[in-house]
Amino acid sequence: MGPLQFRSASGGLNIKPQRENGVVELLDKILDKGVILNADLIISVAGIPLIGVALKAAIASIETMLNYGMMEAWDKSTREWYTKASANKKEIALKEEEQVLFRTFGSLWYSQGQISTWKPGFWYLTNERFILWRKSPPETLFEVQLKNLEDITTCMEPHFAGERENIYLQFDEGQMARIHTLKTDELKEALEKATEKSIESRAVHDSKIQDGRLEC
Amino acid sequence: MGRYLYSIANGNTKLSFGHIGLEESLVYSIPYKDIMAIVHLCSPKPYETDDEDKAKSWVLEHSYVIDRATNEFGTVLPFSFDVIIKGDDLTVKNWIQENYIRIKKELENVENKAEYSIQIFYDHDTFGKKIVEVNKELEDLKEKINSMPQGTAYLYQRKYELSSKKLILEEIDLLSQEFSSIIMQYVGDMKIDKKVSWVPERYKDKELMMAFACLVHHEKIDALGDALEEINNREGFAVRFTGPWAPFSFARLQEV
Repeated sequence: MGPLQFRSASGGLNIKPQRENGVVELLDKILDKGVILNADLIISVAGIPLIGVALKAAIASIETMLNYGMMEAWDKSTREWYTKASANKKEIALKEEEQVLFRTFGSLWYSQGQISTWKPGFWYLTNERFILWRKSPPETLFEVQLKNLEDITTCMEPHFAGERENIYLQFDEGQMARIHTLKTDELKEALEKATEKSIESRAVHDSKIQDGRLEC
Repeated sequence: MGRYLYSIANGNTKLSFGHIGLEESLVYSIPYKDIMAIVHLCSPKPYETDDEDKAKSWVLEHSYVIDRATNEFGTVLPFSFDVIIKGDDLTVKNWIQENYIRIKKELENVENKAEYSIQIFYDHDTFGKKIVEVNKELEDLKEKINSMPQGTAYLYQRKYELSSKKLILEEIDLLSQEFSSIIMQYVGDMKIDKKVSWVPERYKDKELMMAFACLVHHEKIDALGDALEEINNREGFAVRFTGPWAPFSFARLQEV
């Protein structure tokens, strides 16, 4: 009879929750929800296009993976569908006479209270600004005027997949940002050229940015 | 090499669950401190198939492993289907280590709770009739229409239909708010289910009014059931209550 069964286990009558149609019910939960890794390591969050399940909830992560070039094994039709779906998305707004000098996929370290995570997006270096842009939902996650950049350094840091090089920016009188991209060397070169500053490499380990300040 | 992830559970033992995973894979745990990931070893590529039956059995197997872990270790953080980490046990361990505080916090949030889905339907005819009957203005209009010449009557009939539809929607809106606040008394957290792909045949002639996923403490389930029964007994309404599910809608590791 479905969920309208009554029981008196606790003395009173009540509706007892049930699981009914196993698979279909599960699909909404298992394919759209649950933990999805947003890490460099993930290689798949595949849906089953055959059953006609759209992957809206997973789009942010899929985009991350596409950008990281980790979707080789992804079903071709899904990839085409995704490319089409994301084609109309808003691009970053530039000022007149502002030109993009360099663009790469990367992330920004975000730490506020107990929350600390890498926020992924596209880094845009223009002749005026350095910006982290997230396409979906569209938002500028970070922005600094090149003329306010005081210092740029890089350092190798431990990472759960081994070691990797991160870039530290100091700007606006002591504020810090820690960023990572897949094209660190190219970005360094472009930043040096655009800011006419030389970038030093340091070997700081276990450094932390807390509320916008660097703690070593 | 890769590791297919099912869930994160409380516990710190290295365990084998037997060949209960996708394609009879051997499911085991990778502990770090007092929590552990439940995984199987696989090649680093997603599970894909054109065979619908196969896909369905994968989904059921994925869910079965999550349910087994829930039975043994309490509420787990369930992974979405087909989440595979590239690397070995150490990679998984490092990932847990890096995210330990967040994972732990999420596990505490779901402790002794489970996810339940609640859908409330209304019968447009039954409910609509009741609403319109008690509205004086509409009643008068209906009477007038009966004594009008045909052409005019048609126009007023349209007006009557639009007004009653508006009235019904307003009433439904009010009741949605009332039902939400009733349910909220019993649940720890509540999310709107934007997608309801399937409902049983017996609800097909009714309109879906609201759909939620709720995180509910074990001790509050009976009381919630009582409250839902009260709603279900109201004329023109039907409540669908499913669960317990692993907290798929409340495992928020991917969000800031």
